[in-house]
Amino acid sequence: MAAVRDNVFPTRMNLTTTKTRLKGAETGHSLLKRKSEALTTRFRAIVRKIEDAKLKMGKVMQNASFSLAEVAYITGDISYQVRESAKHATFRVSAKQENVSGVLLPAFERDTRMGGGSQFELTGLGRGGQQIQKARAVYMTAVEMLVELASLQTAFVILDEVIKLTNRRVNAIEYVIIPRIENTISYINSELDEQDREEFYRLKKIQGKKKERAAVAQRETDAKATARHEMPVRDILAEQVDEDIIF
Amino acid sequence: MNEIYFNAYAGYLEGVVRGYRDGLITAPQYLNLTQCETMDDLKLQLATTDYASFLQNEPSPMSTSTLSARCTDALVAEFQYLQQNAAEPISKFLDYITYGYMIDNVILLITGTLHERDTHDLLEKCHPLGFFDTMPALCVATTVQDLYSTVLVDSPLAGYFRECLSAEDLNELNIEIIRNTLHKAYLEDFYAYCQSLGEPTASIMSNILKLEADRRTVNITINSFGTELSKDDRAKLYPRLGNMYPEAQTRLARVDDIDQVKAILEQYSEYKAMLVGVSLGASSGGTGANDVTLEDRFFAREVQFNKDSFEQQFHYGVFYSWLRLKEQEIRNVVWVAECISQQQKDKINNYTSIY
Amino acid sequence: MAQAAHKDRTLIAAIGDEDTVTGLLLAGIGDIDSHQRPNFLVVDSKTTQATIEEEFTSFTQRKDIAIILINQHIADEMRGILDEYSAAFPTVLEIPSKDHPYDPSKDSVLKRVQLLLGD
Repeated sequence: MAAVRDNVFPTRMNLTTTKTRLKGAETGHSLLKRKSEALTTRFRAIVRKIEDAKLKMGKVMQNASFSLAEVAYITGDISYQVRESAKHATFRVSAKQENVSGVLLPAFERDTRMGGGSQFELTGLGRGGQQIQKARAVYMTAVEMLVELASLQTAFVILDEVIKLTNRRVNAIEYVIIPRIENTISYINSELDEQDREEFYRLKKIQGKKKERAAVAQRETDAKATARHEMPVRDILAEQVDEDIIF
Repeated sequence: MNEIYFNAYAGYLEGVVRGYRDGLITAPQYLNLTQCETMDDLKLQLATTDYASFLQNEPSPMSTSTLSARCTDALVAEFQYLQQNAAEPISKFLDYITYGYMIDNVILLITGTLHERDTHDLLEKCHPLGFFDTMPALCVATTVQDLYSTVLVDSPLAGYFRECLSAEDLNELNIEIIRNTLHKAYLEDFYAYCQSLGEPTASIMSNILKLEADRRTVNITINSFGTELSKDDRAKLYPRLGNMYPEAQTRLARVDDIDQVKAILEQYSEYKAMLVGVSLGASSGGTGANDVTLEDRFFAREVQFNKDSFEQQFHYGVFYSWLRLKEQEIRNVVWVAECISQQQKDKINNYTSIY
Repeated sequence: MAQAAHKDRTLIAAIGDEDTVTGLLLAGIGDIDSHQRPNFLVVDSKTTQATIEEEFTSFTQRKDIAIILINQHIADEMRGILDEYSAAFPTVLEIPSKDHPYDPSKDSVLKRVQLLLGD
């Protein structure tokens, strides 16, 4: 396996730093994992709410459009009138934020600052005004529900994104960064071991050499010694033929 | 003496209109309609009625708006047939009937002009019964001033405009107030015209128009609660006729809530009966299956009057009555269709049946 | 994403059939800005596909719109664009219309929801 590792010099110093990094990565991993779990819990809750709300919406919208049918029964078609009298939205939303594990989730809310003045209050004056106001009320509640659903959905989209990102990070740490750091550590370790072994071998070799050299020296001295011993003992008396001394 | 010559100039049309009346959907037919499960079923059931030929070419997933449009086409075709065959004074009477629609159309065009829309698109949205010759010319006007000075004065509605509105009013007043002012003028004029036709048209039409006037009065009162409409303005919108004119109207002009309206209405025997079981006050928002609104009761009463007008002969009221009944019928059919298509079967019987 | 940006987003836009839009406008969402641009589009049988898509895209690019409501049957016509659209702002919400009851299985978001719940 071609283990991916950081490009570092295998030194003891680097080993310490890398080990610290491993510890950091592991802490980060567990933190992120916890964040992702917290988000996922939140996410699942939202998902469930969305599902409920979406199904409920069908019913609410049906009621709302039915109230419009009631208007049509009494008043006739008012759509054009309504469309043309639209000028400024009286139903606005404002976004506020909610913090879930460091993720800012926007939540839409009906903005009540605009005041409830209606541009349609005179619509249907001569006929069906009550039905129109009723339909208006029904639609207001429907839209409020839609706004709520929209916040859920925005939260869903954002959370989805964030969770994916967090999970990517968690996975990246778990499957890429940590193995790489571990590889680096084992590389440094093995390099260091290798160096140790080399050193040991070198020392051994030196020792051997030294021993060898010592042995040779020994032998020489020995030899010298032997040679000295083995030199023929000269009979100085025999050799020496002294001239007679004549006085 | 009218009766002697009536058949000479109006006999055919009266016959036709009575024939039309017999074509109205009857109670057993309504029962069949309400039993339908899908729009296709409904279409099949309607094939036995006068609407058959207008619906047969519609592609199958028929929307309620298409249904409503086709039914209106049927109504318009029948009415136009009457108009084409009418001679004075019936033709004048029929023209009067169309003025009400014209007012709505003109209001529509004024709204469009005020918002600087392309008014040509609006012509399609206009009610065909309220179409008049110079109406397309209204689209040429780009400002409301033009509209008033050059075009509206030539229209059949000129009289109403001149009487109650100046060109400035068109710009400044709420469009709904304009609409109601015009309707009021129209109603008064129509009433006066009917009175000039002599008996029995006068008395029959006066009943119907008085009811219409009272309904407007009550509605305007109820609907103006809590709006910018001042009490004086409110009083100006009341038609100057009807059973409640003038004394009850003056009192209605001053009331502030629905209970006071009720108290005033209860002094009239015919309206007292109507109030029984009616949940007044839409604000409470009761959406129970069977609550009856005041509007429903007015509809029922209007239908009753219109049916009554067929009991007599030799008068023009039948034309007006037939048109009203037919409109009610279209509303009913559309209502049933809405209930079916939106699966709100528990409210399907809230229509106002005719026969 | 720019956090400050959605403070200005206060409008609800709508693309729908006549009745849906009328109802929503009754509730008071209608707005016409200084350039005479409305924040709603009525789709009828004459409205072309291109117009709807163009309008939708322009709504998504406006900075004052927080939520876009769109009728499901109209959304179906441009499913591709919607499935691709994944930005958080403005939120696109599919709503049922009078003649087309709500079908959860078609909703772009709900599809993703169910995919996530399924596993």
